[in-house]
Amino acid sequence: MAEATQFDAIVVGSGMSGGMSAKELCERGLRVLVLERGPEIVPERDYSDNLAPWQSPNFDNVSQDEIAQRYFRQYPGVPYALKESNKDFWVRDDVHDYVEAEGTRYEWLRGYHTAGRSIMWSRQTYRLGPQDFEENQREGVAIDWPVRYEDIVPWYEKVETFVGIAGSEEGLGHLPDSVFQPPFELTAVEKAFKQRVETSFPGRNVIPARVAHLTDATEEQRSLGRSNCQLRNRCHHGCSFRAYFSSLNATLPAAGRTGNLTMAHNAIVQSLEYDPESNRVSGVRVVDAETSEARTYTSRIVFLNASAIASALILLQSQSESFPTGLANRSDQVGRNLMDHVSGAGAAGIMRGFDDRKVFGRRPSGGIYIPRYANITETDKPYTRGFGYQGGASPLGHANGQIPGIGRQFKESHRRPGPWRISIGAFGEQLPNPDNRVTLHPTRADRWGNPLPVFEVRYSRNEEIMLEEARKDAIAMLEAAGCEEITSSPVNLTNPGNRIHEMGSARMGRDPESSVLNGWCQAHDVPNLFITDGAFMVSAACQNPSLTYMAFSARAANHAADLLAEGIV
Amino acid sequence: MKTRRDFLRELIVSVGGVSALAACGDAPVVVATATGEPGRFHTAEEMELMARLSELIIPRTETPGAIDVNVPGYIDGLMADWASEETRGAHRRALGEIERRLSANGSFPALDDAQAESLLAELDRAAFAEAAGELGGYRTFKGYVTRSYFATEGGAREELQWIAVPGRWDPDVLVSDRQGV
Repeated sequence: MAEATQFDAIVVGSGMSGGMSAKELCERGLRVLVLERGPEIVPERDYSDNLAPWQSPNFDNVSQDEIAQRYFRQYPGVPYALKESNKDFWVRDDVHDYVEAEGTRYEWLRGYHTAGRSIMWSRQTYRLGPQDFEENQREGVAIDWPVRYEDIVPWYEKVETFVGIAGSEEGLGHLPDSVFQPPFELTAVEKAFKQRVETSFPGRNVIPARVAHLTDATEEQRSLGRSNCQLRNRCHHGCSFRAYFSSLNATLPAAGRTGNLTMAHNAIVQSLEYDPESNRVSGVRVVDAETSEARTYTSRIVFLNASAIASALILLQSQSESFPTGLANRSDQVGRNLMDHVSGAGAAGIMRGFDDRKVFGRRPSGGIYIPRYANITETDKPYTRGFGYQGGASPLGHANGQIPGIGRQFKESHRRPGPWRISIGAFGEQLPNPDNRVTLHPTRADRWGNPLPVFEVRYSRNEEIMLEEARKDAIAMLEAAGCEEITSSPVNLTNPGNRIHEMGSARMGRDPESSVLNGWCQAHDVPNLFITDGAFMVSAACQNPSLTYMAFSARAANHAADLLAEGIV
Repeated sequence: MKTRRDFLRELIVSVGGVSALAACGDAPVVVATATGEPGRFHTAEEMELMARLSELIIPRTETPGAIDVNVPGYIDGLMADWASEETRGAHRRALGEIERRLSANGSFPALDDAQAESLLAELDRAAFAEAAGELGGYRTFKGYVTRSYFATEGGAREELQWIAVPGRWDPDVLVSDRQGV
């Protein structure tokens, strides 16, 4: 053990939620240490967003042999985002191994570096709606959320104003509007699709995707060096314009300018030390990723933002006489109820009549979003909960040579958009199930001595039925929109983890017997411990969750600062 | 974290510095087998076949053609540096099958341009008439040619009018307005 260092707060993880926790705590005047298990990302050195196509050999593809040897789990999950020029943003599977229980699959897709996956995310950004906090109780599923939508609204607003979200005000009760910057306007095909679907299905809406890109940067955003989106669609490589939201583009710089932030990289948290006399976390034990040197940091409060899975693993590894099954785990809920969203159902088709139209600019993420309607505006469903569709329309002109013809005509056909293709794919809600869990392998460990995680996650019949219905609905909407050549593969559920929305592994609740955290993301069992990554989620809803993680992080951070100021923790 | 500079340095070493023209400054980076260099994967005959086919598919017009931007060298680099043994084998078999079909009535390399274009057009029609099958290899090759062409500076900038920083989004532009993408 090398040193003991005192901070007001330690935040474990620098990604989506950790960045927000750090920002809020720093802005409240706390001295904050952020522990990041990976190396530092320096945008000027490590972003590859300015490479032109001809500056990336082999279409920027990672070699097939290297994928087989190093990225055999990451690449199949994110082939659209893992390229030669940014492959170091993704973990190597031969180094960061895990175990899948027999008969199950799990895709743990991740990056270890400053800002974590907030650098590589796909930026769709939605609030949960009132129903998402109420359905567990109404349906007798799992446990009730200890908070309601109204409790979170001020924090959504605060976070959205800081983050910057392009979207349109729709006034939908079940998918509430955020604080928006101007949306990316729909294409002519998408507008036609919207009009036709909304006419044929009055309870359904087709809206512009809501995305965390600046389209009208505020003074605060500009003061952080951020500027409007330049329509390059190079986001998975970082953004030199800082136009899309990431911890590195926004929250960490905001935290840093308070003068209260200390970052420590290559700091793999192994466990939290617990002092039974004070009933507090008393230290954070880390091992250096490069030197394997162990050290311990101390602080008055600790925020776990390592990701739903990693935070659960840290708790499970933090065993003591007081907590023999893991810190803050008297409820035995740590690692359980692991959820993700489920996809694998959708449809695509050709919309005729728009061959004289094209676009200018490369829209960075998303085109259209169809908010959940199942069991909201339509209640005749053979399943509970629901799904939203993400999709968009684009011309088929650049079909990688997969159109007939040779010579001048073939060559110049690429100047024209060709027929427009529209596709939609469902993102469905997975119900919580305590048997879906991550545990520690009893004997196998990684190179730093940490037990390998063991995943055991299965979908329920509800998810299977839901996605079958989502496929039928997708086809019906494309038919109603007048699409031709409609294609829809048989439903093939994405593996758990594939949507990269893992959550639920240390859920909040009112009863310490059945939940890990209270309604402030504070551990029932250990008052100076907070968890504000996806672990706190009680149900998954069907919306992309990062915004909700950040809203709860901001709320918890300010609550924790209040408790510190009052001398309660 | 490994940087692009590191990557390029390793790559240059890995190919002996012979065919990888890689600059670590602001100059364009090309990691394709240079025009006139022996193939790193392909035989001389295969390189010649690829050159003929790719120029027939994407000829020089008012903008560069496939030979001008070194599509055969790009594909050679692709096979040498990116492809697995399985992919290399499939590609080599596809080239063999294409040549066999095009040489049914005489050596394809010996044909004049009009004859070669006519034969290839017929093969192309057949390949896109069937969903998959024996001519799937040709479609894959045509995909390599097309993607390679538009991945080069000449193909992207001059033919496609690719713009690095569009700076704005216009969701509805008339096709007659020939502006970049």
